[in-house]
Amino acid sequence: MFIDFFLDVFEANKKSDAIVWQERAYSYEWLTEKIGFWKQVLEENQISSGTVVMIEADYSPSSIALMLALIEQATILVPITASVAHKKDEFIETAQVETIISIDSHDDFQIKTLLVTAEHQHILALRSQRVPGLILFSSGSTGKSKAAVHDIAKLLEKFKVRRHALRAITFLLYDHIGGVNTLLYTLSNAGCVITVKDRKPDTVLSTVEKFKAELLPTSPTFINLILISEAYKRFDLSTLKTVTYGTEPMPESILVRFNQLFPHIRLLQTYGLSEIGILRSKSESSSSLWMKVGGEGFETRITDDNILEVKAHSGMLGYMNAPSPYTEDGWFHTGDRVEVKGEYIKVLGRESEIINVGGQKVYPAEVESVLLQLDYIAEAEVFSQPNALLGNIVCSKIRLTSDAEHKDKKVIKADIKRYCQQFLERFQVPAKFIFDEHEQFSLRFKKQRTL
Amino acid sequence: MIAYQKILELIYSAIDELNAGNGDVSVTKEESTPLFGAASVLDSVDLVNLLLSVEELLEDELDIEFVIANEKALSQKNSPFKTIATLAQYLTEEINSL
Repeated sequence: MFIDFFLDVFEANKKSDAIVWQERAYSYEWLTEKIGFWKQVLEENQISSGTVVMIEADYSPSSIALMLALIEQATILVPITASVAHKKDEFIETAQVETIISIDSHDDFQIKTLLVTAEHQHILALRSQRVPGLILFSSGSTGKSKAAVHDIAKLLEKFKVRRHALRAITFLLYDHIGGVNTLLYTLSNAGCVITVKDRKPDTVLSTVEKFKAELLPTSPTFINLILISEAYKRFDLSTLKTVTYGTEPMPESILVRFNQLFPHIRLLQTYGLSEIGILRSKSESSSSLWMKVGGEGFETRITDDNILEVKAHSGMLGYMNAPSPYTEDGWFHTGDRVEVKGEYIKVLGRESEIINVGGQKVYPAEVESVLLQLDYIAEAEVFSQPNALLGNIVCSKIRLTSDAEHKDKKVIKADIKRYCQQFLERFQVPAKFIFDEHEQFSLRFKKQRTL
Repeated sequence: MIAYQKILELIYSAIDELNAGNGDVSVTKEESTPLFGAASVLDSVDLVNLLLSVEELLEDELDIEFVIANEKALSQKNSPFKTIATLAQYLTEEINSL
């Protein structure tokens, strides 16, 4: 009953491509049959309503069908991908996983039952209402990842409104709120889910070319990688209509460069969090960081110190391993500091990442944006270091492009400082530089913060 | 034993760097030049940048790792950041007692 509206769409589009995986297309008819297959497997293995099931997989025809079958059976899903393999044991324990279904790279599966009975209050709440659940882990760049428990039936509500059918690349991961959102959006509109073998710029863009993708939901870090790798010069991206970016603050310089190169591609900023889902958003323009957020089921407000708070109908029940983050009147404090212009907002950065230099605020993304305008800088990360005179100073870790790597660092440093002074206040200009040839992004294509 | 004169030279190189990079200020390379306080042309951001440059030169040229703006420096009765001479004096003493 939970996925009936999906099945109706699938039935009406039987012959259309639902999924492209390993160069092969799978139709909606195939997908419907595969969901039936999984329902049988689940029944045979006594995986029923309320069971906490970890799915260890990447996007594949089988893993997509399994996700839908598990929703239909009202189980509680815990998707994880190889990118968090080192945290698997922690996640199993935190989420009180009872069964693990692993799907390998050949799309074969294995089921393992653990001797655990989940009894966390949020799981009991889902069970008592007989609704399917979803447990997502926040990336937790500092400390332990937090497990957010959702009622999927609520998350699914917004997909009942039919929108455009798009051929979309599933770039954001299977265990990420943005990835789940892309998947459900695409399937509920009879679009085509185009999976990628890995997330290197050349692989992703060659897939765009070959399978005529229209939508690429990604992250600012990856858009920068497309630019610095020059992968865009090697492939035909004319089918691509929209690129969305979210998950971290976007350096304005990257946005402007991408927009100049691809004026026909609409750049849209998305806004969402593991805890509340993805809001509907609208960018002021392709080269603008200003956006409107909200949409059906979401209300927003800004606190006196300019932090965005969201009230989401589909918001999580709470964390399994942390106190409730909701305010007394039920709002979620996002921790994102924003600037407001009429109906539009601009995300300046996480409250926790703001650097306080002698009482003045520095937003890392703003400084990174200026650094990245220099063509010999491939990647830049700005962070804080304690200083006895100013409280903190601005530091930056720089990866130079390969042609600049051998140059005198003193000369480069002086040049960077001089350039920054043209666009930034003096307290914002990095006082300390670390040159490091390692790539700065994580397996989840988010900048790794040195905190 | 590192001589006062050597430290003074390093401070002067750091001042060259600061003067080159900062159009608005020009710091005179004299021992009596005030570094901080009402009489100085430097504000706290300049001072921090100057001290970081000195730290870097200490490391590059003398292989000494030393954080100049530390709690001890700030809690001295007579601030080591008063003039170039007081800074050189303070650094000479601190570094030679490491």
